[in-house]
Amino acid sequence: MTTTATSIKTARRNAFTLDELRSFIEDEADLLDEQRFDDWHALFAEDGVYWAPAAHDQESWLTHVSLYFDEKHIMKTRIARLKHPMIHCQDPKSACVRVLSNFKVEWASEDGNEYRVRSKFIMLEDRKGADRRCYGGRYIHTLRRRGDGLEIVVKKAELTNCDQAFPMLTQPF
Amino acid sequence: MSAYTNEHFRNLVQVDRVHRSVYTDQQIFEVEMDKIFGHTWVFVGHDSLVPDAGDYYTTTLGRQPVVLSRGDKGKLHVLYNRCGHRGAKVLSKERGNQRIFTCMYHGWGFRPDGSLAGVPMRNDFPAGVLDDPIFGMAPLARVESYRGFVFACEDPKVMPLKEYLGDAIRGIDEMVDRAPDGEVEFWAGCHRYIYKGNWKLQMDNMADTYHPAAAHGSTVGPDGRQFQRRAGKEGGAAPFFAPNGEAVVSQLGVRGFPNGHSSEESLFDKVQSGGVIDEYRAILVSRFGEERTVEIMKNRRHSLTLFPTLDILIAQTSVRVVKPISADLTEVEVWPVRLKGAPDVISTDLVKFVNITHSASSFIQTDDLEAFERCQDGLKTQGAEWVLLARGVGAEIDEGNGVLLGPRSSEIGMRAKHNMWRDLMSA
Repeated sequence: MTTTATSIKTARRNAFTLDELRSFIEDEADLLDEQRFDDWHALFAEDGVYWAPAAHDQESWLTHVSLYFDEKHIMKTRIARLKHPMIHCQDPKSACVRVLSNFKVEWASEDGNEYRVRSKFIMLEDRKGADRRCYGGRYIHTLRRRGDGLEIVVKKAELTNCDQAFPMLTQPF
Repeated sequence: MSAYTNEHFRNLVQVDRVHRSVYTDQQIFEVEMDKIFGHTWVFVGHDSLVPDAGDYYTTTLGRQPVVLSRGDKGKLHVLYNRCGHRGAKVLSKERGNQRIFTCMYHGWGFRPDGSLAGVPMRNDFPAGVLDDPIFGMAPLARVESYRGFVFACEDPKVMPLKEYLGDAIRGIDEMVDRAPDGEVEFWAGCHRYIYKGNWKLQMDNMADTYHPAAAHGSTVGPDGRQFQRRAGKEGGAAPFFAPNGEAVVSQLGVRGFPNGHSSEESLFDKVQSGGVIDEYRAILVSRFGEERTVEIMKNRRHSLTLFPTLDILIAQTSVRVVKPISADLTEVEVWPVRLKGAPDVISTDLVKFVNITHSASSFIQTDDLEAFERCQDGLKTQGAEWVLLARGVGAEIDEGNGVLLGPRSSEIGMRAKHNMWRDLMSA
């Protein structure tokens, strides 16, 4: 048996299953529901980004505005602000629930270290005094092996109404 | 409507206060749509949205659907987006290119200048009826542009655009001059946010350097500077508090201009430098020389706001457009612009920064939106009738040409807007 064949076999044995990938992404959504933003931030790779495009079929975050485009250091500022006592747009706070479904592995690297996983989501946001808000669309997660677990390289949230006007957005999708 | 006499409107705006109904009364909003949005120069779009013949960009003027289009000879047109036949909105996409704009209902076609190009089964209409230009897509009475910014007015007797802008025209110049090629481009789409509040709450806010310490306290980092909001190793993050505890921005002055325009002094303490900014600066120096480059890059204004609804965000190299929908509902667009001739990364960095300063999810705008909605709620109360805009009354410095500088977050900019509002509404 060649070395390459051995390593592919090892990679297959170590590859994450769809169930494991789904659990990771569902757990990530739970962290957001529970507003454990620091724990959420820790899931991202150092070069990780959180992205919600503002146009259908938007190819780049550099050539078109986005609803959210947070590199890891920006995400940190966002989270510091979410915890700041003077964040008026979270007084009162939002309560959210995200429901995920239709998981598919779109792509996996041969060495079993990188994955692109697609899922669908519905998210409700309630805030006392404000209208109930409902968002929906697709998540596309690019994930990378980190030790025994995974980290997020890109989390992309494609909203069905991404090209429309939004009231204030405080909760990442 | 009989209670709404010119006298009544005049009394709603006093020297240092404005009546709350200016923000809450839907009947007043209806009058604004005519007396303000029907009689002043309203920004429609930037000519870079329609570079080629047949290009169109659909938007609104006041509440009315209009289209900015470019005709065969490169001429810009602003048309009501309405079929001359039965009134259906002809163009539904935001942007596109068509030689003939075709109505989906009965198939009438219009040229980009609005003239009627084709009517199915035309001979069954009485002779001569379709020769009347009103059965095309009717053009707005006046269209003028300045350095790519296209304005339209429904009133044929309105003063020329340049006269209307007066000294406030410098706001457009100061932003466009930062482009080495002397032109800017709307190239990356726009942010759109919406709030349950009157359009003038956003307009007031754009001349308000008094609110950041309270409203934007959550944007200040442990180093006492606001988060980095534009590119450059230097000049991208401004110090928030002065040694005496006041917000730096609130120690700055505001200007009020004739016809309701206003501007705020820049909150940045340093000129942008470092990294690609140095490369960009070298391009400016090679084109315009050192002395002129220093002038171009100076932190002169934070923004310049043109009455009624355009905000030139000079520090953020973006353009904000306010769209009134009803007395208590407003949509706002924010367009990052490309400085033509500058390194590409200047423009792409800007797109990234505007995401965190002026989008619906941005660190700054969200708290402003909370403030606008709380104002709209609070102003429902019957017990107190007035909104106070008294900061700096009597302390203004006359700079000539009707320009008044109000030191220390004076509310002069808001007073300038409301005075213009009063003059138009009581005319």
